[in-house]
Amino acid sequence: MSFLSDAMERLKALFFRGRLEREMAEELRFHVDREAAERIRNGAGPEAARREALLAFGGVEQYKEAVRDARGTRPLEDLASDIRYALRGLRRNPGFTLTAVLVLGLGIGATTAVFSIMYSVVLARLPYPDPDRLVMVAEKNSPTNIWNISTADATAIRAQQRSFEAWGEVSRTEAALSGQGSPEHVMVGRASAGFFKAVAVPPSRGRPIETRDEAAEAPAVLLVSHALAERALGGAHQALGRSVTLDGVTHEVVGVLPAGRTELGGVRAAAWSALKLPAPVRRGPFWMRGMGRLKPGVTVEMAAADLAAISARILPLWSDFRDSLAKLTPMPLRERIIGQADRQVGLFGGAVLLVLLLAITNVATLVLVRASAREPEVAVRVMLGAGKGRIARLLVTENIILTLAAGAAGLLLASFAIKLAVSQLPNLPRIQNAALDWRAVSFALVAALLSGILVSVSPVAALSGRGGISSDARRAGTGRRTNAVRSALVTAEFALALPLLVVAGLLLNSFVRLSRVDPGFNPEGIVAVEVSLPAMRYPDSLAIRGFWQRAEDLTAGLPGVAAAGLASDLPPDSPGTNNFNLVDHPVPDGQSEPVSPWYGVSAGYFEALGIALLDGRMFSAADTVAPVVVVSRAWAAKYFPNEQAVGRQLISGGCYDCPRTSIIGVVGNVKNLGLAESEDAVYDQFNPNRDRTLHLVARSSAGATAALRGLRELVRSLDPELPLGESVLAAKFDDSLADPRRWTAVLGGFAAVGTALAALGVFGLMSYVVRQRRREIGVRLALGASPVSMTRLIISRGMRYAVVGSAIGLGVTLVLAHRLQTLLFAVSPTDPRTIAGVALLLLLAAFLACWLPGRRAARIPAAEAMNAE
Amino acid sequence: MPPESSELLQGTLELLVLKALSLTPMHGWGIGHRIDQLSKDTFQVQQGSLYPALQRMLRRGWIKSEWRTTENNRRARYYLLTRPGRQQLDTETRAWERTSTAINGILRVRSAEGLS
Repeated sequence: MSFLSDAMERLKALFFRGRLEREMAEELRFHVDREAAERIRNGAGPEAARREALLAFGGVEQYKEAVRDARGTRPLEDLASDIRYALRGLRRNPGFTLTAVLVLGLGIGATTAVFSIMYSVVLARLPYPDPDRLVMVAEKNSPTNIWNISTADATAIRAQQRSFEAWGEVSRTEAALSGQGSPEHVMVGRASAGFFKAVAVPPSRGRPIETRDEAAEAPAVLLVSHALAERALGGAHQALGRSVTLDGVTHEVVGVLPAGRTELGGVRAAAWSALKLPAPVRRGPFWMRGMGRLKPGVTVEMAAADLAAISARILPLWSDFRDSLAKLTPMPLRERIIGQADRQVGLFGGAVLLVLLLAITNVATLVLVRASAREPEVAVRVMLGAGKGRIARLLVTENIILTLAAGAAGLLLASFAIKLAVSQLPNLPRIQNAALDWRAVSFALVAALLSGILVSVSPVAALSGRGGISSDARRAGTGRRTNAVRSALVTAEFALALPLLVVAGLLLNSFVRLSRVDPGFNPEGIVAVEVSLPAMRYPDSLAIRGFWQRAEDLTAGLPGVAAAGLASDLPPDSPGTNNFNLVDHPVPDGQSEPVSPWYGVSAGYFEALGIALLDGRMFSAADTVAPVVVVSRAWAAKYFPNEQAVGRQLISGGCYDCPRTSIIGVVGNVKNLGLAESEDAVYDQFNPNRDRTLHLVARSSAGATAALRGLRELVRSLDPELPLGESVLAAKFDDSLADPRRWTAVLGGFAAVGTALAALGVFGLMSYVVRQRRREIGVRLALGASPVSMTRLIISRGMRYAVVGSAIGLGVTLVLAHRLQTLLFAVSPTDPRTIAGVALLLLLAAFLACWLPGRRAARIPAAEAMNAE
Repeated sequence: MPPESSELLQGTLELLVLKALSLTPMHGWGIGHRIDQLSKDTFQVQQGSLYPALQRMLRRGWIKSEWRTTENNRRARYYLLTRPGRQQLDTETRAWERTSTAINGILRVRSAEGLS
């Protein structure tokens, strides 16, 4: 009640101020009139009565003020007048206002954009109920060697695990889908019913895959993404019950996932079918991921112990797998999805924070200059009775208005930057969710308010440091203390700019080295189409082999094609691997077998890519009985150092009962795994039992578009219903550089802005020093000092800040540099040449920024400067 | 400075205003006049100090104001006691009585000790 009446009275006071003032005046006038009338009634003369009445009342204006105070709106009214005053001041000084808003807006905008991206990539909750209880399970025998689980593993976990409330398996394959319209290649997740229970994302229509779908004779069913239903099934509302052909097998659509859901448990797929787990016949092959939802209260460590016990129990059951170090290992889903992205985004965040700090420092110096220019005005105000508190409040209000405007400009900038980042950095997980939402807006608001407070610190401190009133208005602007603060700020700018430059320099260096890596062959003119043969029309190895051989032969005969071949994977992103054991150098019992990249190819593949045979021989038509492989030079050097690799034998894929595999040749190194990766490789002949999906590769002089058209038409002529994926190898290599290129460009941009801001800072300070010491310099020049010495004086003073600041920045960089290690290729994070180079660049910028005011100092006309006094 | 005075005086002034208004709605001058009459001119307060006090009491919801016409046909602002104001008057009166009884008690003890 009392709160309500209080609020009402205050609001009335705020909005009906004019009426209240009129009423108050009327009320007080009535009082005095009434008192005078009373006194006249008691016998006083009219004049005297009025005088006495006023006297009895007390100071009318004072009481009016007291009543106004009692209305409780004083702080708000003061604020309103402060804001009006500040706006007037900012409008009067558009150069200052615009510079400050732009510089800080840039800082806030960049920080807000990076924050939004960071939020959606790293911080946002995974889109599952209780996401922290989701773990992925894989085989692991060293911190870096992690691979899939096998049917035997899954069967054992299903029977023995005690940690999960739900457990399932998932495997992703590419499949040819024909619904309506032309056939297309889509990613299909094959997953067990337990997987859907674990991720706990209910379909928006229909049902998920259930246990009954896993039975061997159960009809094939499909759960589709909303996007696929819209694209190929005539809309999500009528997708249920439709038939879809997947690799030649008819599936019935039983469910549609919610719109926007493009992945489950970190597996990106357009459609989901039931995983039918056969009974295991050996420990391998390893082809699935496990997905578990921990029971409440069970930690990842407890699950790890549970799974390790299972690994130990099943090891003796199978003879084909003897790696006692290999353990089924649970990994938080969050870690698997975000992976390295937090480091990249973290670096990005750190860099952008430096830019923001630089922007704030810069605006702080601008504000300080403005404050010292206004000291005479402030002195007059203090003299007229304004409290220091009130003046400080005025300063802070003005700065916060300034930084809020910068925040608004920053938001505008951020909205563009976020859109740009989403389109340019598609490889960051979850970046699609980044948007200018309420979080971004509050972030920008907080950043703006904090900046406002930070830039106010030094002028307010200078204010409270001032003793009383300085009547000497001309001297008032030359506070020693103000200059000390500005020097410190300029030094800080260099300390902030140097780490930015070092990071940008290192990334650039790393990028240049990466782009100069020799891929091992010349990708110019090499094109490929990826073809999948559906099991329906290509039921056995005879049909498959027949298709591939005809395709390869016909391709080699196309006009412009110099050579053609087949390959299971193409550089620079070939993921296939296999484990093996050398017959001559077997791993000790119970140890992990080595794992190597492993590809199925035809002999023509090496010819098409131009990979030289260095030793031994190539596959021949006779190699159909005993398995043979060709290895890369790097592989041979790693496993047979100082020995002949050709003629040696190995056991492939842990199959000790299978015939031994012989090494028949050594070929040149190729960057199969990416430019930064190792060149180990084993090539075997493509296997019609295994390789249903292959790339048909051709080296052609016809140009990429024409060559691809030729390949496409050729495959269509063999079988018009096969879906095709196309690649141009030169473009693939270029794409693999796209991400590092963009990271480098963005960091380079930050560093350039940082350098410019630092240079601007020292330029501003030295210009100010020259203006301030105009008279002194004039006197010196008049007394015979050389103009050059004056320039030198100014430059040496400015460079002192730049050098000290850079040294501090260098120290900070050296402490933090090791965090960059994983983001760099072939460059040490403390590479002395890079650091020296960027430091030199920064100091050069500082030198130029000092030289301009220095030259002005040399040109001060001696006589005029003296006369001006 | 206006004679804002001590907490005690301010509180007392408000108590007196509440008491004055408990009989009938009055304008500011009337309230001051009534207090003078009732206290037989004991309190020498400037008449102006009444108005900030009235403004504070408005905000607390103890009184409300209305513009009415006086017996001499002039517009004046009248103050009326509200229900919370009446409660406040009761509480403050009781508190005041307790305090004054206690203080009187103490003063009497003092003089008794002085005799011995």
